[in-house]
Amino acid sequence: MNRREFLVAGAIAGLAASTRLASAAVRFDMYTDSDANISDFWSNVIKPAFEASNADVDLNVVIARTGGGTTTVVERALAALASKTDPQLDFIEEFDPLSVKGAVEAGLWTDLSKAGLQNYGKLNKDAIQTVWSLPYRGSQVLLAYDTTKLPKDKVPKTFADLVAWIKANPGEFIYNRPDKGGSGGNFVRRAIHEANGRDPGVFKIDNYKKGESDELLAKGFAILNDIAPSLYDKGSYTAGNSASLQLLAQGAVTMIPLWSDMALQAIAKGVLPETTGLVQLSDLALCGGFSAAVVPVNAANHAVAVKLADFLLSADIQTKIITDLGGFPAVNWSELPADLQAKYADVIPASIPTFPGGDWDAAINDGWYRTVAPSLSRS
Amino acid sequence: MHEAASPLSRTPAVSARSRVLPLLLVATPVLLALWLVIWPAAEAVILTFLVPGEGGTEVWSTANYARFFGDSYSVNNFTNTLWTTAVTTTILLVIGLPLAIYLRFAKGQLPATVQSLVMFPMFVPSIIVAYAFIRTLGPNGTVDIFLHAVGLPRMRTPYLTPWGPVIGLVWDGLPLTVLLLLSGLGNVTRPAVDAARDVGAGWLAILVYIILPRMRSSLLVTLSFNVLGIFSSFTLPYLLGPAAPEMMGPFMQRTFGDLQDVGMARTQAVITFAVCLLFGALYVWSIAKGRTKSAAGGKS
Repeated sequence: MNRREFLVAGAIAGLAASTRLASAAVRFDMYTDSDANISDFWSNVIKPAFEASNADVDLNVVIARTGGGTTTVVERALAALASKTDPQLDFIEEFDPLSVKGAVEAGLWTDLSKAGLQNYGKLNKDAIQTVWSLPYRGSQVLLAYDTTKLPKDKVPKTFADLVAWIKANPGEFIYNRPDKGGSGGNFVRRAIHEANGRDPGVFKIDNYKKGESDELLAKGFAILNDIAPSLYDKGSYTAGNSASLQLLAQGAVTMIPLWSDMALQAIAKGVLPETTGLVQLSDLALCGGFSAAVVPVNAANHAVAVKLADFLLSADIQTKIITDLGGFPAVNWSELPADLQAKYADVIPASIPTFPGGDWDAAINDGWYRTVAPSLSRS
Repeated sequence: MHEAASPLSRTPAVSARSRVLPLLLVATPVLLALWLVIWPAAEAVILTFLVPGEGGTEVWSTANYARFFGDSYSVNNFTNTLWTTAVTTTILLVIGLPLAIYLRFAKGQLPATVQSLVMFPMFVPSIIVAYAFIRTLGPNGTVDIFLHAVGLPRMRTPYLTPWGPVIGLVWDGLPLTVLLLLSGLGNVTRPAVDAARDVGAGWLAILVYIILPRMRSSLLVTLSFNVLGIFSSFTLPYLLGPAAPEMMGPFMQRTFGDLQDVGMARTQAVITFAVCLLFGALYVWSIAKGRTKSAAGGKS
């Protein structure tokens, strides 16, 4: 057999093998546009586990990254619903069902509360945003601190205590610029909540009004300006979540706001020492959110999609979300092993406030750059 | 007859081809530059002078520029960028020139080692430089630990101050600076230096009267290359600099991506472009001058 024959034979054998595989299993198309750690988690943890118990399913993880890739897929599914064709979409692991106009009115999404999910009742009620979206993993900003410098029993538990602690320990706290990472961004939003009666309900996706809303934000910025001289280096701000994490790891500061999944991953990998403490404010938590999985009603493999949704809420996967992904479980902690509950007692959120995006984002970020960032005293 | 005629008839054809071919070769990059650089840049310049008028029309106005220069926050960012560029370029020349002179005239194994060390930063991506900088010069970094070990007080770290990007950019820009200066020093011959020394000239006199005059165009090229690179730098000021004032690179990115204020981002870009254009012109002028000089030198 010469080289050419060898290549041809190889190609035919490969083709035969791939068609045989394809005919044996149903291709199930799930989409994600989340970060690499999430798509890796799907490819390496969820896919093998789900296929092991569903031998006839070939879970096809489609990565539609560069933000908004899934929106196009949903628009296609909406069009397919009208023309009664196959949307080639069975499941999206994170998608806001309200974001595509007309999708809800057209009845594109499966009402997961009535889809017969055995585990639906185990869900943390705070995590459920709509009946069409299934929360299955969460993440929230909390405070990470060095327990060798700040004992666990002395750690501030309310925002007022935190401000008092920052002022009493100048140079020991830093948060990142609000546009450069959610940990600093949500710390800034927590200050805005604090200045507006700790009522996240004041801020809605569609109620930003130039001028009037800026006054609400300015009250939050006043708090941040007040603590600025007591921050690291008299008011410096890092350029991202991991830059803050590095300062904590180097012992340059005692406390930072940090995403829960980053904190747990960093501790597990030894980037942050075992002596790192995590705490959530008890008067009003820092913002966070749950990812929302959606299932279109016209999915070709609708029954498998519902099965997968239920599978995600199983104790096994929910545990792996904590241990492998560093995320929050979407089910109540009481549904999980007791040793896990004890280990993460400090980070279990009592409430998960959220802050709307839209026009608020730009107003907060630019307002912060113009009023808080320049108030740096270099004396 | 054919044999005799064909070489004669072919000659003009060959020379026509030899005239067209270089033009064709150069046409591709020129057209690409026109399409991807000149045209969008010209469009951006025009659009910054157009503002929405009454009834959906657009009117010519300098309102965008008035807004930029009337906003103290934007002006601070602009002057901070000028300051960073001036300081970084000065430091680069002050460090780079002695290094280049050393590498040009020294003999032996050591200069080769020094040269490879000088070139080293060229192969390190700036994101790596930034994080290495934080670990070394940052708070409780290697330098701090060393100072503490020998009983000295902690240093005031340049991280997150305007000096952070300056130090990072000097490290990043040194290889190119030394390479360009070294190529300029190729014009300075050893006999010229030796002759000056024989008549009793000191190092300063040799530098001022022999070396620098022959390096004028190379110094101009170094200056313009550094200014162009530093003025539009992004990663190092983003990661090492303070939150405010920002440099134009991160400021433009934030205005465009985060605030989605395309008009203002475009205005910032045109202002940045105008400053860079000055130094770009300086570069072209010094190159053109060098060309005419060498052409003239060839004839004499």
